[in-house]
Formats: sequence, structure tokens, C-alpha cells
Amino acid sequence: MNNEARQEILGSIRTHLAASAPFDAREDQQTPVIQSQQSPAADPVALFKQNLEAVGGHCLIANGDAEIANALTQIISALQKTKLRAQRIAVSDAPELVRLMHMTDLEIEELGIAPGASDIFRFDAGISTTQAAIAETGTLVLDSVRERHRLVSLVPPVHIAILNASTIYMTLSETLSMLQSAEELSPAVTFITGPSRTADIELTLTIGVHGPQELYVIVNQSQ
Amino acid sequence: MNHLSSETFRENAKAALADAQLRGALKNATSLFGERRKVAAASLPNWEELRNQARAIKDEVLSHLDKYLEEFVRAAESRGAKIHWARDAAEANAIICRLAAERNARVIVKSKSMTTEETHLNTALQAAGMQVVETDLGEYIIQLADEPPSHIIAPAIHKTRGQVAELFTAELGMPPTDDIAQLTSTARATLRDRFAAADAGISGVNFAIAETGTIVLVENEGNIRLTTSLPRMHIAVMGIEKVIPRFADLDVFLKLLPRSGTGQRLTTYQSFITGTKRHATGEGPEELHILLLDNGRSRMLSHPVTRQSLACIRCGACLNACPVYQQVGGHAYGSVYPGPIGAVITPQLMGIDKASQLPYASSLCGACREVCPVKIDIPRLLLHLRGEISERKGSASERLAFKIWARVMMSPELYRLSSIAGRLLQRVFPISRAWTSGRDLRLIEPKSFHELWSDE
Repeated sequence: MNNEARQEILGSIRTHLAASAPFDAREDQQTPVIQSQQSPAADPVALFKQNLEAVGGHCLIANGDAEIANALTQIISALQKTKLRAQRIAVSDAPELVRLMHMTDLEIEELGIAPGASDIFRFDAGISTTQAAIAETGTLVLDSVRERHRLVSLVPPVHIAILNASTIYMTLSETLSMLQSAEELSPAVTFITGPSRTADIELTLTIGVHGPQELYVIVNQSQ
Repeated sequence: MNHLSSETFRENAKAALADAQLRGALKNATSLFGERRKVAAASLPNWEELRNQARAIKDEVLSHLDKYLEEFVRAAESRGAKIHWARDAAEANAIICRLAAERNARVIVKSKSMTTEETHLNTALQAAGMQVVETDLGEYIIQLADEPPSHIIAPAIHKTRGQVAELFTAELGMPPTDDIAQLTSTARATLRDRFAAADAGISGVNFAIAETGTIVLVENEGNIRLTTSLPRMHIAVMGIEKVIPRFADLDVFLKLLPRSGTGQRLTTYQSFITGTKRHATGEGPEELHILLLDNGRSRMLSHPVTRQSLACIRCGACLNACPVYQQVGGHAYGSVYPGPIGAVITPQLMGIDKASQLPYASSLCGACREVCPVKIDIPRLLLHLRGEISERKGSASERLAFKIWARVMMSPELYRLSSIAGRLLQRVFPISRAWTSGRDLRLIEPKSFHELWSDE
């Protein structure tokens, strides 16, 4: 389509790099340093929890479905007493979520399943599972091919995520290799580290600007 | 208002120095960012190693940029992205306006992109009859105020909460307040409405991975995620220098960028976008367009000294560290890119005649080089550009003065005479006011070293 622009830009890159050749030899060549990556010896769940809490996220530990449902009851009923309401709950299409919600003692106005872009704005809280996490930064890893959770984890003011302890990686570098080892990289992978934040006015930290202002992670120790 | 020119840096700087409120805000911001950066860098045992690695990766890409761009384009196209090439700002804006018009886009949401600031995309879209809304809180504030950004990562750093409140009261009808949380939630509510209505989303790009065709976007607010998830079309605009070879290289850059920019270990969100969704029922836009912009960048490849300008990852650390930026702020530079990195890339992007004062807006102290996560030798670049400027328009009197100086230094007799003459004349004529108005000039000692030596 704009093949002409493409040819001209690539041509210009080649011409200018060629012009640089006589000077290049005189420059000090920096040698790449191979970095040795070693995982810190620590409990991944404890480290994840500590780092998530350091950026303002909440972390609950559970063992199996009954305890996860309990944690959901606890989180949502507490939110229902605040102005965040937590009456209209949107879940992703991960099948266990509807089952878990039915195991809770909650009374809610509405339960939506993976609402679309035109529908998502009226929900008070979103619940998803996560595909992995990074302990050294307290980060959740969401893979859009495995679950419809781009919007439930982003648009409602509260995001509750359920994380299997066995999917926690210690380091960023291990997590990147895991993502790349998939047959094909997913169209959208999202890293989430704590609630949405800004410091654009007088550098004063404000939580919850465009994304969720509350982030809860329930770590399932038994998976 | 406040659209200053790079060619009047000296006057702009003088005006900024007289603005006590601005200088207070700058002092707070630059010292806070500087401190946080220092702590974050110290938290990694191998910071220096990471910087060396990052630079080596950038050097590798830049010296084979054609190859890596073609690899990136092939990978991204194979995953369903549409690639566009733009030689300059006008061509980039025309492509984006056409894409938007073809889909009858009325409302366009944008996340922060220095590259689209560089091309003045908003003006072009508005002229084409579209509503374009900046959604990063800082960018939204300066869009309402009709001002350019004054810092690469904190665009509204120069504004107080009082000024933001006045602006929101006037533009959004908000009741007066100076509560920052309330200002933020007003912006959130107003912008949610625009997100819901948006026909297209435009973002920048932090890194483009040649190996996988992935674009990576880094942020704290969530507006980039909204911009790239909600509307049916996503247009990502990137300079051709944003490409890095391998997905695994992100390990280095995702450690360096947030720590250097805001002192965070990781920003709240990273989005890794690889082509379009696989199934029609999946979430996310139906179309992904990636625009590759040259606009003067390929020219910078022609010398190893200028080429390093393209290694910049736009973290803003050099702004915070620079004693000139700390005093005058971003607007005085009169360019989209302020601070030390702005002083070197603006003359190269716009042409040296349009920003010939900027390479002199530095004391060459080297603080920028010390903090740069990709080790760009900015002082050396500044000197290189000063060299180009003086070759072009060096004054005849300066050349004559140096010719005389060289002659004097080569002859001991002339040197002796000139130091006697200097001692006498210095008391009669004040030496060049331009030099002495900002600096002390010591009197020449009554006896030269030579004379003292022969007296002994």
C-alpha cells in the first residue's frame, strides 16, 4: 500500500548506516555482558504476598474451593458496606467462577459472565482467575487466550483474582521464558502489579484512576 | 498559550527562572524522582551490568535496524497486524486520519505518546472533524489547558492542584476543590464516558519485539489498557528505533525503565500485544494498525555518536538529574522533548537551524550520562552538535580570535608580552559581558609561573 514509504525508509536506514561505517571502527565496542540469573531461595507464596501488599494489593491464602468461596464472601460482603457497593458482579468465562460464586453466602443484585465492551461499565466488581504470577514483583499474569478477562479485570472499580500457588514463578525472567515457550504468544498478555495509580497532580499518589482501585488476590495453596 | 520556540531558549529560560511557583514544583518533582530512582537502582545488585546489556542490545539493533524492522514487520503481519510506514509527520497524520475516516470514527481516545506529540497528531485529527481525547491524567490536564507536556513521564508536572482545579471548574463544571482524589475521580468519570463512546484508540509503543511481532506498553493508570481493549480499532504509533530483537530482552528493559522513570520495580500494568484476537468472540479490537515513523530518525544512524540518540527509552531520568532542567523546566526548551535528551534529539529531528540554542542549554556536567539506563553519552552528543553548529555558522571574529591565540601560544615571546598586556588591559576593559554576567573572572596574577620560576 505505502510500499514507496517503506522502500524509502529502509533505503535511508541502509545509506546512513553505510555512511557511518568509517567512524564505527573508531568507537569503543561494548561487549554484551551475560547476566547470571538465580532465583532467590524463598517461599514463592510468601514473597508474592509481601510484594503485592507493598504496592497496595490485598492477599488472602486459601486451601481448596470451600475456603476460596469463604474468602469471596468475606471480601464482597465487606465491600457491600462501603460506597463501592459490590452488588453487580462480573465474572470472566473461567467455568469455576460461577460455581464458586454459588458456594458463597452472598446476596447480590446481578451476576454477569464476561460482559462485552458496551455492558461492562455498570458492574461494581470483576472476578477472574489468572494464568501465572511473579513472586519477586507481586505481579499477576493474565493470558487472553485462556480466559475472557481483559475487561472484568480492568473496568470495574474492584478486581478479585484467584491464583493457583503452583503457577507462581519467582522471577520476571522465568515468567518471560514461560510465556514464550507457548506454541504461539497470546494476542494479549497483561501484567498487573497492584491497583491502578497515578501521581500526575503534584506527584501525589492517588489510587484508582482508570483501572480498579481495589485489587484482591486469593491464592489457592492446594493447586 | 505557552507554545514557545526552541530558538528563543535563552529568553524562555529567563522567564522560567522568574516564576517562583514553577521552580518550587520543579524542585519537588525532580528531587523526588531522583531519590526514588537512586533507591530503585540500588535495589538491584547488577544495575551496571543491566545498563551495559541494554546498551549492547540497542547498539546491535541500531546497527542492523533495517533487518530488525523487517523481521518485526513479518512477525506482526503474520499475526494479523497491519503495518504502515510514514516518512514524516505529515504522512503519519494523513495515514491515521484516513484510517479513522474510513471507519467513520467520531470519538478517538488516546493514551500518552511522545511520538504523536512530535507529529502534532491531535491537531490533524481535530482538523478532520474528529474529537480526540487524551486519557492519561497528566496529558488530559494539559490538553484542557492547551499546553505542551513539560516532562516526558509527568506531563503536567508544572501545574499545582489549584491550577488543575480551576481548569476542571472552567472546562468540566466541577465545583471548586483542591482535593487531589476528587480531581482524579472527576477526570475518571468524564473519561469513562469517552472510553465508552470511542470508535478508535491510539497508543504509543514502548518496545516492539522483532522475534515475535509483539508491541509492549508500560503504564500505571490503566488508560492504555482501556485504549487498547475497548474500541474496535487500535492504532499504535512508534518511532522506527523502538524495536528490540528478542522477547527475552524485555527482562533487561522492564527492569531498567520503571526504575529509572518513577523508581518502581514494575509499573502497575504491562500490555504485551501480539497481533489481533484469534477468535471473533474474543475480547479486544478487531483491527490492529502499527505505524512506523521515520521523521528524521534514519538520518541519525549516519554516525556512531548521533546514532546513540536512538537508544533512548524515554524514561525521563536525565531531565530529573539535569541542573538546567531543574531550574527552567520543560517548556523553556520549546520542543516536545525537553531536558538533556531533548537538547540532543530536537535539533536532529527538526533540523539544527530550528533548535540551534538547545545544544548550549547545558553545563556539560555529565549528570545525565550518569543516570541514563542505556548509557547515552549526552555531553559528547552536545559537543558533537555544537561542532556542527559552529562549522555552519561560526563567527568570523571567533575564528580570528582563535587564530591569534594559536599564534601567541606558539611563541614564548608573544606569550610573555600578551600576559603583560592582559594584566594591564584587564583593569581598563571589562572582558566580554556575556561571559562575566554569569561567572566570576579572576584577575590575572601579577607574575606568571615563568616569571616566578626565573625569580627563584
